[in-house]
Amino acid sequence: MFQLALKNILFYRGRSITTAVLTFVSTMLFIIFVSIQDGSHKSMLENSLKIYTGAIEIYHKEYRDTGGNEYLIEDVKTITDKLSEIEDIEAFAGRYETYGLLSSREHSAASMISGIDPAKERVLSSLKEARREGEFLSENSGNCLYMGAELVKKLHLKMGDEVAFVGSASDNSFAADILKLCGVFKTGLFEFDGSTSFINRSYFDSLMSAQNRASYITIKLKNMDDAQRVNSEILKLLNDDALESLTWKTLMKTLVEAMEVDSIFGYISLSLFFVVIFFVIMIYGFVNVSSRIREFGVLRCIGLSGANIFRLLFYEIFVLSSLAVVLATPIAGFLCYYFQLHPIVIEGMAEMYRDYGVVSDAIPLNFDIFTILWNLGVIYILNFLSIVYPYFYINSFKPIEASRHV
Amino acid sequence: MIKLQHVNKYFYRGEPREVHALRDISLIIEDGEFTLFSGASGCGKTTLLNAIGALDTINSGEIYLDNKEISSLNEEARTQLRLNELGFVFQAYNLVPVLNVEENIGFIMRLRGLSEKEIKERVLEVASMLEIDNKLGSLPNALSGGQQQRVAVARAVAAKPKIILADEPTANLDSKNAKALMDMMRELNEREGVSILFASHDAYILESVRRVIKMNDGAIVDG
Repeated sequence: MFQLALKNILFYRGRSITTAVLTFVSTMLFIIFVSIQDGSHKSMLENSLKIYTGAIEIYHKEYRDTGGNEYLIEDVKTITDKLSEIEDIEAFAGRYETYGLLSSREHSAASMISGIDPAKERVLSSLKEARREGEFLSENSGNCLYMGAELVKKLHLKMGDEVAFVGSASDNSFAADILKLCGVFKTGLFEFDGSTSFINRSYFDSLMSAQNRASYITIKLKNMDDAQRVNSEILKLLNDDALESLTWKTLMKTLVEAMEVDSIFGYISLSLFFVVIFFVIMIYGFVNVSSRIREFGVLRCIGLSGANIFRLLFYEIFVLSSLAVVLATPIAGFLCYYFQLHPIVIEGMAEMYRDYGVVSDAIPLNFDIFTILWNLGVIYILNFLSIVYPYFYINSFKPIEASRHV
Repeated sequence: MIKLQHVNKYFYRGEPREVHALRDISLIIEDGEFTLFSGASGCGKTTLLNAIGALDTINSGEIYLDNKEISSLNEEARTQLRLNELGFVFQAYNLVPVLNVEENIGFIMRLRGLSEKEIKERVLEVASMLEIDNKLGSLPNALSGGQQQRVAVARAVAAKPKIILADEPTANLDSKNAKALMDMMRELNEREGVSILFASHDAYILESVRRVIKMNDGAIVDG
């Protein structure tokens, strides 16, 4: 049967070439489309993590749900000393966050104020890169505020303006100070830009009595794919039931869910494309099978069983699909790999879409062997499905009717 | 031996039982017969041949092949029967276009799972008997009508079926080729002992066969 299938493929060259080309094109498009989708998600995630959230963060167990000064991490130094032992960690820092009231001359707004270590933050996050005006914080910036652009608008502030801060210190005492606007950032994350301010950690620790305490410790990894493994290592090292260590998947749950929804819509668009390709291949195969009804009829008359007819069609589509896949996969795989290393750059894209959270001009592709393999599986399944209807159509004829079919 | 008992076949074309294609056919064909079903067009000879060849179903009656009832078999069993017991020669040759002569002749034997050595020997034997051994590498579309029909006969004969059913085998051949083909088939019948049943109104066949079963309006009128 296999030899007969090969001979059919060679004999009906036009049909074979068209089927192979259609499969080749769909394989290429499928692999590249999924690669762009996955690459964009990965990039979106990396960018989001890069802005502020770490790949892993350590909290007191009650802090995220209940909040408050009772659930701050105590003795941060002991923990950070332990973290220094883990090789896969690139950088880490404790952050102290609190909510307070910021007031300009005529306006007030609630803000999350975060005490950060400017030197460490340069490595940990892209807050410095998000600067739009003024300066990023430094070791000597004292009472300088680095404020989100939307919050600056709310408070009607200009660079150098003074801002009154009122809040509750870590020991629940009253804390107040006059701070100064020294820098403005814009990440494109509207909520973040409209509610967040940063201040030098050492200055803020004195003001808030938060020395050696932290709301959480944020961690940047050398390779984000190691998050789960490193997280287990951290938990083991901490050995403290009051603390929890969470990976980005939990921390960025909303973003992960948004990406999953985006993936679903991506696959829906892709499936529409595949429905078209599938029907083109199936209709083309059907037309060709229709033109071979007589041949199949003769084969059945002389003793070829229905199972053998199916096998014949299966081998034909298998060989053509394999031929297309063998040609398309290395090309598509190479393109994905190349554009993963050298992302496609569209100048001005980040600027144009900044308000939508796009922070880079680059569109990276994601090269992943496992993804390519399941892509190929889908291509094969679709091609195999395309022979089902033609097969039943052939079998709807009696052998003798089919052998006389014109 | 083929035995038919009260076989009826109807073709439904809108109205039920509009065409009574076979009318109460009862018949015995012994092994090794060289028999013709003759009659005017539409008399039911091809329908009868198809029923005997398990290519078509009947509405009532029984058909026995070597005392085995075959008319009630399912499609898969009928396919196996056609593969293992029967050979067919069609009016339009019906060779597999992508296979060369050698592969076409050996096709049924390959389906039956014979060894390549056996197939090769038998193909050569039959091809030389039918004088097509110099065309073994050719594709069907490179052969004349007479040559193609000889290949079709070779394909039917090579697998050593019990019965060969030939529907109008000479209809597309000129008189010279028709006579040559009938001479060869008669020789095959005598040499191989295979029963050959024809459905035709060709005079060459009428002259060649040993038994003629005349049909009219779906019924046997003589033979």
